[in-house]
Amino acid sequence: MTQPGAMRVAGDSHVGKVRTTNEDALIVEPRMGLYAVLDGMGGASAGDVAAQLARDTIRDFVLHRRLTLAPRALVEAAIVAGSTAVFTAAQHHRERQGMGTTVVACLVVDPTHVVIGHVGDSRAYLLRGGRLQTLTRDHTVVEELVDRGLLAPEEAERHPYKNVLSRNLGARADARVDTLELELRPDDRLLLCSDGLYGYASAEAIQYLLGSGDAPEHVARDLIELALRGGGGDNVSTIVLEAPSAAPSSTQVVRTSGALAWWQHRQRFLQVADDGGLTRSPIVRGLPPHEALELVALSLCQAIYHDLEKSTGVNVWTFAQNLAAGWFERGGEWRAVRGIVDILGTAAQAVVDDIRAAAPELGFLLDVAVSRALIVVELALGGLLAERLRQVDADVIELHTAQLATLEHTTQESPALGERVSERFIDRPTIPFLRPDRPVTGSGESAEVMNAIGKALTIARGRLSPRAELVAQVFLALETVAGDSGGNFAAAVVSARELYGARSVDNAGVMPLFDAFDKARILVASSVQQLRVLPPVRARVLRALSTAHQRLVGATTGLVLEVVNPFTERLRDAQAVTSELRDAVAKAERQRADLERRFATIVDPSLPWGARGTTEW
Amino acid sequence: MSTVPTLARSYEALRPKVLQRLLELRTTLDPSLGRLDDATARSQIGAVLDHLGNFLATGDRGLHRAFLHTFLAMRAAEAQSPASVLAMLVAIGDTAAQVSQDEGAGTPESAELTLLLTRVTASTARAVNDLIAEELARRVGQHGELAGRSREAKR
Repeated sequence: MTQPGAMRVAGDSHVGKVRTTNEDALIVEPRMGLYAVLDGMGGASAGDVAAQLARDTIRDFVLHRRLTLAPRALVEAAIVAGSTAVFTAAQHHRERQGMGTTVVACLVVDPTHVVIGHVGDSRAYLLRGGRLQTLTRDHTVVEELVDRGLLAPEEAERHPYKNVLSRNLGARADARVDTLELELRPDDRLLLCSDGLYGYASAEAIQYLLGSGDAPEHVARDLIELALRGGGGDNVSTIVLEAPSAAPSSTQVVRTSGALAWWQHRQRFLQVADDGGLTRSPIVRGLPPHEALELVALSLCQAIYHDLEKSTGVNVWTFAQNLAAGWFERGGEWRAVRGIVDILGTAAQAVVDDIRAAAPELGFLLDVAVSRALIVVELALGGLLAERLRQVDADVIELHTAQLATLEHTTQESPALGERVSERFIDRPTIPFLRPDRPVTGSGESAEVMNAIGKALTIARGRLSPRAELVAQVFLALETVAGDSGGNFAAAVVSARELYGARSVDNAGVMPLFDAFDKARILVASSVQQLRVLPPVRARVLRALSTAHQRLVGATTGLVLEVVNPFTERLRDAQAVTSELRDAVAKAERQRADLERRFATIVDPSLPWGARGTTEW
Repeated sequence: MSTVPTLARSYEALRPKVLQRLLELRTTLDPSLGRLDDATARSQIGAVLDHLGNFLATGDRGLHRAFLHTFLAMRAAEAQSPASVLAMLVAIGDTAAQVSQDEGAGTPESAELTLLLTRVTASTARAVNDLIAEELARRVGQHGELAGRSREAKR
């Protein structure tokens, strides 16, 4: 656990996806407050030697001289010492000549004050207030040319020597070090990294991960993952430093004190769940009461505890899914799930109330967090219910479509049956949640409102081009749906069927109809505004007409879905058949190639098979 | 004295900011919100935020349920799954609570509003699931009836 006021730091390094050795090196020394990333270079494994030698020298230098030098001078002198060590080693070993390393180092003087020194193209970034800024300037030939005004910044990006370093540790006995001192603000984050990160990840992505609020150890690792996903063409190293918060955030309080307080009240949770009748729920039928409590109540209590501790919802989600999925698989009813979830919700609230009475601030934060946990429970249950509804709905549509086809066939022999077909459709709309028993305009709607609806549609018609026949038909349908004071969704379905007529499901067939709906909506809305009636009447008219419009669009969409469904099924079947055929063709191709190969060997046995090549086969 | 009218007023004052935040974040909050064009998203989110204000002011659960029923029906007519409608409603409620927390700067009133909005979101999620379950039961009934008729017709 991090103490308030302490700086949190983590570092990580990876060889990457292309290189076989990791020539990066890290310094992570919290006791000295010293952190650094070094990126070695040079053939014959000399790069890692240079980076490790500089790392050890810098670390030792700071360890021995930190009490005698001022922070900025200490960082500069330590890096120069590192350069001297690498240069000297290269002079003594011929095979290591030319080896060198970059470095970016950070010395934490206190949690609000740091010194950064660097040589080469390893970088330091600062994330403050969600914005990422680069603190260091790469020591490359191209950057030096830009600094001297010999190259334009836009040319630098395309320059062939943009990666050639102008400074590194080991090129000379001494090194020119750039240093800067920085005052940190609460929640600032610093990132030290090698070019294996920013060369393979965008600044936006780095900013996003650095600002994610995750712990530095996760961020350091996630940044490396980011570079690997971007190709991982180089060794990649990251160190993330986080300045302490001004005060612990509510999330931190819940993670620490809140989770603990919750867990300490688990007996109370079990007691209230027991009193609420959890052990009598059909879901735990057959289990002894203590096992039922343990299996359900204690499991949720634990799941909430772990989620509070980690600020996630995954444990509660899993609990709810397991509880409901098992019950549904056994053919259980929703009512039982609702019952048990309510009991558990009451138990959770009782615990929160107890904690709130003793510690109001902590209790309040827990109240919010536990309410969110209950939302997670509902989301998990909703996912299961929706999936079951989707399956049943698909089956109902399939059965219904088959019945319609059968009845359509028999209608030709008996017209009376045709009447029943449409009745059945009206009785059973295929859009979930739509009920045929809710009127658009109430039965008590005044004659004044009904009259105004008619007037609004007359105004709308007057503004319509004579060629816009489809929009005129939509007006008629709207009048039918809105004007049916005892009406219900059935009126919308009937009107939708009339409008839909013999349309096909393509742009030419359906889209003009939906365009007409849109035009009608706009015309009707503006016509209602022109009505000379009292504002409450206008509001009622607008409400009735827009509800009618929504129903009409809804019913038409339902028709389209119904029509599309058999085609979707057929498409799926066709795709399956195509896939089988493709496999069969591939198999036949392989057999043909094999036969030709044998034939060629028989005709000319002296010819080496490989010399014939393979592309022509 | 109940603090609800005061909180409802605070919510009304906050509503434009909530709408703005939701429009900015809609793609990351919920895929179904991200797929909508700006005008449709504004109208759908606006409808939910309007209703949320009414519910905070009146506490009328019947009205709340009726609104959710209509909202589910209209989204279903647009071929949106109930699970994604649920996720969308929760995302809207969560964002409203988050804005209340951010804007209130730790005042007791904003804390109370944050808690109230979180509880309302929980209650919304609960009501939506009950509606989905009712619809499921109705569809299962229809399925049984249609399957029975099919068997009968085959005989």
